[in-house]
Amino acid sequence: MVRGLQMAKNPPFRRVLIANRGEIAVRITRGLRELGIESVVVHSDADARCAHVLSADHAVPLGGNTAAESYLDIQKVIAAAKKTGAEAIHPGYGFLSENAGFARAVRDAGLVFVGPNPEAMDRLGGKKAAREEAIAAGVPVIPGTEKDQGDASLIEFGKKIGMPVMVKASAGGGGRGMRMVEREEDLAEALAAGRREAKASFGDDRMILERAVFPARHIEIQLMGDKHGHVVSLHERECSVQRRHQKVLEEAPSAVVDEALRQRMGAAAVSLAKRVGYDNAGTAEFLLDPKGNFYFLEVNTRLQVEHPVTELVTGVDLVHLQLHVAAGGKLEQLLAGRDLRPRGHAIEARICAESPETGYIPAAGLLRLVREAEGPGVRVDSGVYSGWEVPPYYDSMLAKLVVHAPDRATACARLSQALREMVYLGIPTNVDFLRRVVDDEAFRTANISTDMLKHRPELAAGPQQAPGDHTLAAAVLCQVLGKSGGQGGAPASGGGSTNGSTAVWQTLGGFRLFEGAR
Amino acid sequence: MKITREFVRDGKTVAVTAEFLEGDRWRVRIGDKVHEYEAKALGDGGVKLQSLGEGADRAFVAYGAPLAKGSMVRVDGRTWTLEAPAARRGGGAAGGDGVVRAPMTGTVLEVACKPGDVVEAKQTLVVVSAMKMEHKLTAGVAGTVRKVAAQKGSTVDQGAELVVVEPNKSEEKTS
Repeated sequence: MVRGLQMAKNPPFRRVLIANRGEIAVRITRGLRELGIESVVVHSDADARCAHVLSADHAVPLGGNTAAESYLDIQKVIAAAKKTGAEAIHPGYGFLSENAGFARAVRDAGLVFVGPNPEAMDRLGGKKAAREEAIAAGVPVIPGTEKDQGDASLIEFGKKIGMPVMVKASAGGGGRGMRMVEREEDLAEALAAGRREAKASFGDDRMILERAVFPARHIEIQLMGDKHGHVVSLHERECSVQRRHQKVLEEAPSAVVDEALRQRMGAAAVSLAKRVGYDNAGTAEFLLDPKGNFYFLEVNTRLQVEHPVTELVTGVDLVHLQLHVAAGGKLEQLLAGRDLRPRGHAIEARICAESPETGYIPAAGLLRLVREAEGPGVRVDSGVYSGWEVPPYYDSMLAKLVVHAPDRATACARLSQALREMVYLGIPTNVDFLRRVVDDEAFRTANISTDMLKHRPELAAGPQQAPGDHTLAAAVLCQVLGKSGGQGGAPASGGGSTNGSTAVWQTLGGFRLFEGAR
Repeated sequence: MKITREFVRDGKTVAVTAEFLEGDRWRVRIGDKVHEYEAKALGDGGVKLQSLGEGADRAFVAYGAPLAKGSMVRVDGRTWTLEAPAARRGGGAAGGDGVVRAPMTGTVLEVACKPGDVVEAKQTLVVVSAMKMEHKLTAGVAGTVRKVAAQKGSTVDQGAELVVVEPNKSEEKTS
């Protein structure tokens, strides 16, 4: 049997605040409960009934609706932790997770930041800084600008290295503010749009520019460091299926990374982390070209959205481990006797409230009916439920569907089946699109690259088919007999379950009713 | 009990009438076709359907939800958004009729036109941000801007009218 983390007997903290929302906050509350730690969550007004508020032991309203008014307000978040007696703050991903100023403010308030030390974040947090550290650590990088000296200088450099180039936010991760530019005349507009997005997402509009490597595969290494100078690699994830630089499907291990390459990439990532005195969870992202050369992209100084695939193949609970090392635990003790080699294959699909069929337009609104997949080897990290009204203020991700199987082919089949079972009704989602990609020959044969979706627009568009008679009959019979959407056409907020049959009749706005027989 | 609902299929309005027979049995008329189903409500909001017609004996589970202008149904692992005829007459968000509407609930980031402006088709008129992504809304037709309802920084609902462009006479379409 696999042995548990060696310090599991002693909870590392008594009470921890989660400065995040939705599925990742729910996932962290679960991890905290398992360790016997009380959870405190914070929420905006729009999120008063969000899943993470329901899952926690304590909830503190921050007020406001936008991220800037709530989850990004450092003073409010720290005050919530002080008020509730939390000893540590877990930032999740996004929001303040990669903000060294926040990590510093948490430390200055006498609390523990469940993430890297701010000095290491400073050295790796920005793409520019990380690139310089990578060069110094002997890790290969892509040719590009070192800093933002204004549009004119960036455009000139772009012309010098030649198209296509990538325009990126200096401060951020996750694809925000990032664009590929194929024509010189489009550079100025791409920089302007990138600056606006970067300003909105990170409060910092500085941009950098570099040569685009493609066709490329996105391979990243999961790192974990402790406060005693030890860093381990928990191996690679492949996230090559992307659209507009947002990951769509993520898997571990990669179908194209053999043990020798795994060791080389892991060693490169560890040497970079050690150089900057890194601790806690982090991810070094690389591009892999068809010849097997890898180039460093950036370090995400936080827990990643796609961390579950690593958890499934290594058997390590990354949230538990983060909490233990944040409390001063030693990796050599925490992981003593553990075989960390990847076992089987795991794939994650990001379920988003967006419509790939109509240009990926995101959709806020009432989720009238939610029913999520289950079964052997199926994990759902969800932040929604039937009756939840998805607010327009935050990210469009609703949940993550993650499967684990002995091999990649079985994992693909399992993911397809699980996607078939997923039900999210009321607003458009990308579930059917995800299934088309997973069932596609290119994905099944692992013949994937970061620009795959760009060249296969039919996967987003979907089949142009008219609904059959069974579909129309089902739509009407569901409205008569099903009990979803009890709020009818009203813009209800939350509420969830409906009881009794009267609610069903209220939904029949457009129907002509005759004598009832049931 | 008998209920009728209209949907748009292949550009045509189709009337679907479900008539309760007895037990769990329903007769459903779609256009001039008649189907019979055994339909059982499940506790989780789904309905198990068994087609009783010849050559269609497979049972399946369907999940459905009403929308403001139609309904959504999930059958055999595929989600269908079915439009009611009235919703369709409202015109598309892209503004083929000269009206530029918000494709989703979001915040107006930039207004790039004012009343009286002469604009080209596909010219960016408004930039809306939702769920941290920017979306450029362009003119569906060439013409003259008659009305600008969008205000920088304001929140707009899905379907809200943002800009009205009066199409040039020569390109006016009848639809």
